[in-house]
Parts: sequence; structure tokens; C-alpha cells
Amino acid sequence: MRCSLLVIGGGLSGLAAAIRAARFHPDVLLVEKHSRLGGLNSYFYRNDTLFETGLHAITNHAAAGDRKAPLNRLLRQLKLQRGDFSFCQQLGSEIRFLGQASLLFSNDPEVLFAEVRAQFPESWARFQRLLSLVADYDPFTPAPFRSARATLGEVLDNPLLTEMILCPLMYYGSSRADDIDLGQFVIMFRSLFLEGLFRPAGSIKDILEVLAGQLRALGGTIRTNCAVHELLTAGDHVIGAQIGKGERVECDRVISTVGHRETLRLLGRSENAACEPTARLSFVENIFQHQPWPEWQSLPKRTIIFFNRGERFSFHSPQSQGVDFTSGVICFPSHFEGMPGRSLDELRTTHLASYGYWKALAGTPGRYLDEKRQTARKSAQTLADLFGSFPANIVYEDTFTPVTIERYTGKIDGAIYGSPVKFPDGRFGCDNCFLAGTDQGFLGIVGSMLSGVSMVNQHILPRL
Amino acid sequence: MTSEDIKEVIIAIIKDIDEEADFDGLDADKPLRDQLELDSMDFLDIVMELRKRYKLQIPEQDYPQLATLNSCVAYLQPLLQDA
Ligand SMILES: Cc1cc2nc3c(=O)[nH]c(=O)nc-3n(C[C@H](O)[C@H](O)[C@H](O)COP(=O)(O)OP(=O)(O)OC[C@H]3O[C@@H](n4cnc5c(N)ncnc54)[C@H](O)[C@@H]3O)c2cc1C
Repeated sequence: MRCSLLVIGGGLSGLAAAIRAARFHPDVLLVEKHSRLGGLNSYFYRNDTLFETGLHAITNHAAAGDRKAPLNRLLRQLKLQRGDFSFCQQLGSEIRFLGQASLLFSNDPEVLFAEVRAQFPESWARFQRLLSLVADYDPFTPAPFRSARATLGEVLDNPLLTEMILCPLMYYGSSRADDIDLGQFVIMFRSLFLEGLFRPAGSIKDILEVLAGQLRALGGTIRTNCAVHELLTAGDHVIGAQIGKGERVECDRVISTVGHRETLRLLGRSENAACEPTARLSFVENIFQHQPWPEWQSLPKRTIIFFNRGERFSFHSPQSQGVDFTSGVICFPSHFEGMPGRSLDELRTTHLASYGYWKALAGTPGRYLDEKRQTARKSAQTLADLFGSFPANIVYEDTFTPVTIERYTGKIDGAIYGSPVKFPDGRFGCDNCFLAGTDQGFLGIVGSMLSGVSMVNQHILPRL
Repeated sequence: MTSEDIKEVIIAIIKDIDEEADFDGLDADKPLRDQLELDSMDFLDIVMELRKRYKLQIPEQDYPQLATLNSCVAYLQPLLQDA
């Protein structure tokens, strides 16, 4: 078998890359080792219900007519229409530092600005300087790491406000412990606070089906249940791959979305974990499906709550325990405008977790399962502390650990955001194989898709 | 192709990229990108469409020659003589 472009991985970045290339050259083969597409943002069925694996909210909301907005640019590049999707905007979200302060934000940036002005009046002028920095900074020209924490420290000169602004942006887009690159900070600030959050009215499955349909309509080929086992090389040139059950495919070019070190492994090259400046970050994700819970009805409806109960906000994997419940993300998937009603409600929580801890437990399945259950209980207790109660009538609950993520997506250390070092131009030492997605550096659903598109634009299309 | 044909081809391609593009008052000597709010990603689509439709291989260093409608004509006319 042969193809002009081989795309490794059927997550959102791989799908976007393959569609973009197939628009002009249909000879594209996308291979995904799982039976379903989507990668980190896929879905599964339990109790006759479709559950999303990853989706809280999609960032980068934009009005349909805003041509320059990243979301609309992305759709144009993939030749998709807004009408192909049905999007619901967030009701409104919150950054809550218990016992300290709370900031609301929504898809209208003025909400956040008014909150900052009201609650941090002494810092308002400085916050406006931060807004100018965000407006003027060019995050897309590759540059060495610059600490956003240090920059915000200087610009805002207010540790609490700095941490409150960083908290959501780190949870939704930092691969680095306790900090975030300034360029990535600017991208995330725009994506969350200036553009905003939304989700499909149905599920991520609808989006994946549109993408897969588009790729096939353009003549591309999708193979699921088909892993790449080895990339075959001549010097720094990839000539093909060993895929599926003993098949060999020859190709002119490769886009790999499986990660930097993961790709080095496929190339049989040595990798050096010590090059990574901080440990990789891992998380647990809990899903609770429950009957409607009247005691919460009087609470204001928030879409996402980013909370911190610690004195300071720390963002690193815990050392001596499996999960750090001090901070986290709480998502209410039904709290989006115009979401079709469902008889059961869903609630999701995310906390920082230790890969090593969970990996060690995984050797004893009984203890591993028990710890998973305990994690769900402790997360529930955290919510009960925050809201005064927790739904008593849980119909279904599940917990993804760093080991789950590792097992399903092959991400080293189960690190959702991959390597702390990124490869903004996709190059990593091969002349015809490039990284896209997580380790290129654009994170999240819209980010990873833009990553796939831009790597194809940069390296594949001009040379086809 | 005549220069008018080439202009039409370019406009058709841009319409295909962006249905809402507004060509009223387009100045053929001013950059298409600024007037039609095309970004570099959209611009690449013009090059790729020309390749797909007319098998034209436009090297990257020549992209600037496609900046305005008139420069497109000047650059493409010799290449599309027999098209
Ligand atoms: C719990 C959770 C919640 C999240 N919530 C959100 C959210 O609310 N909003 C948001 O925007 N983002 C969210 N994200 C992040 C988002 O999912 C990712 O940033 C994005 O999906 C990454 O896409 P990707 O294509 O780069 O990587 P991946 O999705 O990891 O895709 C890589 C694909 O490659 C496949 N693969 C690996 N090895 C091989 C091989 N050898 N051969 C073939 N295939 C292989 C994997 O199976 C996978 O499908 C969340 C992630 C998680 C885990």
C-alpha cells in the first residue's frame, strides 16, 4: 500500500490535518489505533447513555460573521459551514478562590472586566495594561519560554488576581507545572476570556461525524483499529510505516499527532525525558450522572467553576498522594444556552493527579478500583463543601485516572497536555515527518484542530 | 486566457473560499488580502486551487506576485496561455 500523506492519530488534530490535506490532494491515509475517532475527546456508552470522554466546553466561541475569529478561520480552512453544527453558548462561569474572592466571566468579556473592576479596584488600571499586552502580543512567532507567572506578577502586582486569572488558563491549557508560557497564556486568555465557551447541542460525536464525513467526501481514507507500530526510515527521511496487523504502507510525508517522545519511539530513536524542564501533568476526571437534585435549584447556574481552596494556587502533580483535591474544575454540561433537556443530569470534576501513584496501584487491580471509587467520593465531598450538598441519587459514576489516559491514547505518563516542551513549527529532526496537535503546542479542541491545519499548510501543501 | 478570464478565475476561487467576500469597489492594484480580509491561510487556498484546477506549480517564493488582482494577471497570463 502507499499514500502521499500518512496522518497518525484520529484525534481532533489528526482529523483536521487530514481534511486540510485531502482538500487539495485526496491521497491521504489517517490511521487510528482505536475503534473510535476522537482521541482524548471521544465518547463511550454506559447504561444506554452516551458519555463524552473529555468535553467540558469548547473554547474560542465566535459569532458566525466574525471572519477573523479562530473558530471561523478553522471552519473555512476545513470547508465546513457553521450550519453543519449546532452550538450552545455557556451560561456563565466562575473562578472561585474560597475564602478569598470570586470572579464571574461569560462570553461577553465585559462581565469579567466589571468583576475585576469591582473586586480589585486598586488593580483595575494594571489589569487594563494586561489587556493591552494580550491584544498586542504575537503568540504565533516561535519564541523561547517566557514565564507568564512572572510577567503577570509584574504587570498586575497582585498575587491573588494573578493566580485567579492563571487558574482557568492553566487548567485548560498549560503543559507545564506551576507556570504557563506567555505566548500560550495570551492564546488561552483570548480563547477563554475574550472569545468564550460553547459546546455542541448534542455531543462530541456529532462533531466527529461531520469531520469524518468531510474527510471521506474529499477522498481521504480513514482506518480505525489500525495502530502505527513502527516508522520506517532512510536517514532522517520516513519512507513508510508498519501498521495494523502486519501491513506495510509507503508514504511521502507524515503528520504525527501522537506526541514527540511517542513519535521518537515509533522511529526507534532514543528519547531523553530529562530534556523536559518540569514533570508532565496528569489529571483525574470524574463523571457523575444523577437524578435532578432539587437542593441545587436555588444555586446560580454556572457552566464551569474553577476553584481553589488553598492559600496559594499550585498547579503541579501531587507528590505523596494520588489526587490533589485542593483545586479543580467543575463542569455542568447542561448549563449551556438552549441545551436540549435530559431526564438525568451530568456533572464532571477534574483535579491534578500523580501518574506515578496511579501507575503503581494499577498492578493490584482491586486496590486500583477501590482508589478510583474513593477518588469519586472525595471529589463529591469537595463539591458538597462548596455547594452545601451533593446529589444523593447518583445513577452512574466513572473516574479516569492518568493510567486510563495512558492506556487509551498512548500519552506518556497519561499527560493530557503532553510534553512541557513544545515544537511550534512541528519540526523535530525528520525532513518529511512533522508533529501536530498536543506536542506542537496548540491545546484544546479548537487549538488542536488549528494545529493540524497549520502544520499541513506549512509543511505539506506547499510541497505536494 | 485573457486578462479578464484570469481575473474571473481568481474571483471565483476567492468566492469559493469565502461566500461572503465583497468584491464591490475592489481596487485591482491594491492587495487582495487587505481588501477582502483574507489571512495567510486563506491566501494559501488561492495557490492550492490554482494548482488543483490548472496543474500550476507556484513556488513559495513567487507567492508575493499574487498580491493584487493585476499582479495575478501579470504573473499568471504567461503560465495560463493555453488554458
Ligand atoms: C478529561 C479531558 C477533558 C478535556 N476537556 C476539554 C474541554 O473541555 N475543552 C477542550 O477544548 N479540550 C479539552 N480537553 C483537551 C482536548 O481533548 C485535547 O487538547 C485535544 O483533543 C487533543 O487532540 P490531539 O489530536 O492533539 O490528541 P489526541 O486526542 O490524543 O489524539 C491522538 C490520537 O492518536 C491515537 N494514537 C496514539 N498512538 C497511536 C499509534 N501508534 N497509531 C495510531 N494511532 C495512535 C490516539 O488513540 C488518539 O486518538 C480535555 C481532555 C481530557 C482528557
